[in-house]
Amino acid sequence: MGNKQTIFTSQQLDAYQDCTYFTRKEILRLFHRYRDLAPQLVPLDYKNQPEVRLPYELIGSMPELKDNPFRQRIAEVFSEDGEGNMTLDDFLDMFSVLSEMAPRDLKAYYAFKIYDFNNDDFICKSDLEKTLNKLTRNELTEDEVRMVCEKVIDEADLDNDGRLSLEDFQHMIMRAPDFLSTFHIRI
Amino acid sequence: ELTKDILVIPGKSELVSDLVNLSAGARFQAIRSLPMSFNERKTVRLTSFIIIHLCNISDNDTFYLNLNLYLSQQEQSELSRQHLIIWQDTLKEIGGRFGTSVLSYFLFLKWLLQFNLFSFIINFCFITIPQIVHAPNISSTTGFRGLELLTGVGYFNQTVLFYGGYNGEVIISKPAYNMQLAYFFTIAAYLKDLVFFLLLLSMSRSFQKNFVLETGPVSGGAWRLLCSWDFSVVNEKAIQYNKNNLAIQLKESLSERLQEKNKMSLSDRIKHLSLHLLAWLLSLGLAIGSGAGIYFLGTDPELAFSFSHNPNNLRAEASTLLLPVVVSLINLIVPLLYSLISKIESYSNPRAKIYISIIRNVILKMSILGILCFYWLNFVPNSISCWESFVGQSVYRLLIIDFIFCLLGIFFGEFLRNVIGTMCIQSLGVPEFDIARNVLDLIYAQTLAWIGIYFSPLLPVMQVLKLFIIFYLKKISLSLNCQPPKHIGRAAQIQTVFIAILFFPSFVGVLSMVAYTVWSLEPSNQCGPFQGLKTPFHTIFNWTASIQNFPESNWVWWIFENILRSELFYYLISLIVLVITYFLWQITQGRKQLIKTLREQIVNVSAEIIRTTL
Repeated sequence: MGNKQTIFTSQQLDAYQDCTYFTRKEILRLFHRYRDLAPQLVPLDYKNQPEVRLPYELIGSMPELKDNPFRQRIAEVFSEDGEGNMTLDDFLDMFSVLSEMAPRDLKAYYAFKIYDFNNDDFICKSDLEKTLNKLTRNELTEDEVRMVCEKVIDEADLDNDGRLSLEDFQHMIMRAPDFLSTFHIRI
Repeated sequence: ELTKDILVIPGKSELVSDLVNLSAGARFQAIRSLPMSFNERKTVRLTSFIIIHLCNISDNDTFYLNLNLYLSQQEQSELSRQHLIIWQDTLKEIGGRFGTSVLSYFLFLKWLLQFNLFSFIINFCFITIPQIVHAPNISSTTGFRGLELLTGVGYFNQTVLFYGGYNGEVIISKPAYNMQLAYFFTIAAYLKDLVFFLLLLSMSRSFQKNFVLETGPVSGGAWRLLCSWDFSVVNEKAIQYNKNNLAIQLKESLSERLQEKNKMSLSDRIKHLSLHLLAWLLSLGLAIGSGAGIYFLGTDPELAFSFSHNPNNLRAEASTLLLPVVVSLINLIVPLLYSLISKIESYSNPRAKIYISIIRNVILKMSILGILCFYWLNFVPNSISCWESFVGQSVYRLLIIDFIFCLLGIFFGEFLRNVIGTMCIQSLGVPEFDIARNVLDLIYAQTLAWIGIYFSPLLPVMQVLKLFIIFYLKKISLSLNCQPPKHIGRAAQIQTVFIAILFFPSFVGVLSMVAYTVWSLEPSNQCGPFQGLKTPFHTIFNWTASIQNFPESNWVWWIFENILRSELFYYLISLIVLVITYFLWQITQGRKQLIKTLREQIVNVSAEIIRTTL
């Protein structure tokens, strides 16, 4: 692989390669995807680490994310400011965790954060209700929503405190062997 | 002072010191899987580098050199990995529109294709090339007509496509190449070692991942809500479809929960049981009936053998196609009858319904294959000269007709059904992509190919071409016509079931059939590499007898005579395997008990905590 690119220094590319699951080629490809969202905002020269942050509306309009019911939560979890406005680092990080090569524990950690709407490190009943509403808009009645959330907590709550901690969630993930392949966005 | 500042990073010092102690590859993997933001990860990485560098007595150059070397090695393996993944874009598209369960069908198809390619290469290199190079054995009595592609006889009769095209002489070259032994060992090696270990390994790995972790309350609601949403689906309509599905499944699981509370009355239970019994009787009756029908059709002397007496009779040749067509029709119609029958039954568990229908279809297909094998091994060797080629040609015909019916099925089953469902009868709707049926068809064709490999070593070529074409046609038909299946519970578990299907009935059956052929049947006298021997297995006897004369290879003969041929050896082996299996099973049971106890402990501990804080 020749060093023909002029966007990053080789130390920067090394850092990206070590900290994400992407190769050099994929990192450059993802950079161009990032830049295509707003070519006037993103410079072609990242050598002096410009502070460029794309607003959430642009990220949420990507074809891979635009119909995903959780796109706002995903952007919020992976962005530094917590509002969904992403730098290139956040962008790479997001797709790295969502790629096929990320291990189960890492994905479980981030999935937990995505479903934790109020950011209190626990998935409580209101978080579950919000998740359910995002996944099924009008098909379930209020009673049914409530019953499903109760059922979820019933089954998954190991330490009986009425809400799901990260360990409960990880334990539940262990019983769902599909999780690795469903928590995955291809880019 | 730089190192002092870095080591003071709160909470990270232990992490960094752990990382420093790992090897380079493990360190990078560990850094990547840290659950922290990107900048923090970069800091940790930099810190660990600096510490390694500072502790490293050697100079800068070797450090950076090693780093670069490692990086370029990583890249190389990444690149080569990408090249080996064919069809990557297509698979991505399919997964994006239809989800992971439909994708699993295509991945299975790809795996079969790679497998057949591999077996073709082995057969070609070890058997066909020596035969072609040394002793071209083509004595065709007829020129090439188009009908050969369908029936496999005529021009193809004496070519290397079938068993009859090989002869068993020892090729005089340096070193001497014994064609008989080569044929025998190649087939044996291929069937036994590679397939056995490959399938067994992938099945046990799959089993471990999917079934063994199923301890604790296994029911529908929780995991479906939080774990099963397919993030990889990006098509808007497909997402809406998945949302509807999820709602339906959640409703079903809620109603299941309510229903559990209703006990069924005795008369209801008897009614359900008798309906189940009736359905099973009908299914088994259909399977046995089809088997008997095929047997009588096959042994009808008019149909089967009139051709071999008169090689130039085109009409008789075309009539050999009748049996494959009937088999394919049965394979097409009877599963539809099965799904009609299953409508009269009521199941408490939708997953049970899928499993039972899979079992019934497997019984049907295995009984058809069983009858065919029985016919081929008992009836044919006594009636035809060069019977192995005949069997090879029958398998060839079955595969080709099956392929044609598959194409017709795509056209009628999916395309026309889509047209009818959307334009004429709106209530039918768009056809679903039936994963179970398609995977079973693939398994059936692969079993046929395995059966035929002894009689026609180049059969995997046909499978490769067939699978290649089917992949593209199914993909096109999928995008134009179908919608994703509604009731896929656990795709991974179903995959394990499929691999188990591939292994147990198919492979064991094929192995026993080939073993019977090799051990007990008399090979035909006029053609093939085993002419003149009493059974093909006698090549091994002859070979060991011949090497008995060489003192240095005496131990091979000794092993063969005293160990492999003695029954005590196999008895001991089976005993040992059984004992090991029992021990492993006990370990699993013990671990399950441990998990249960630990789970109870968690509840107790947290109850304690809640009590003491209140």
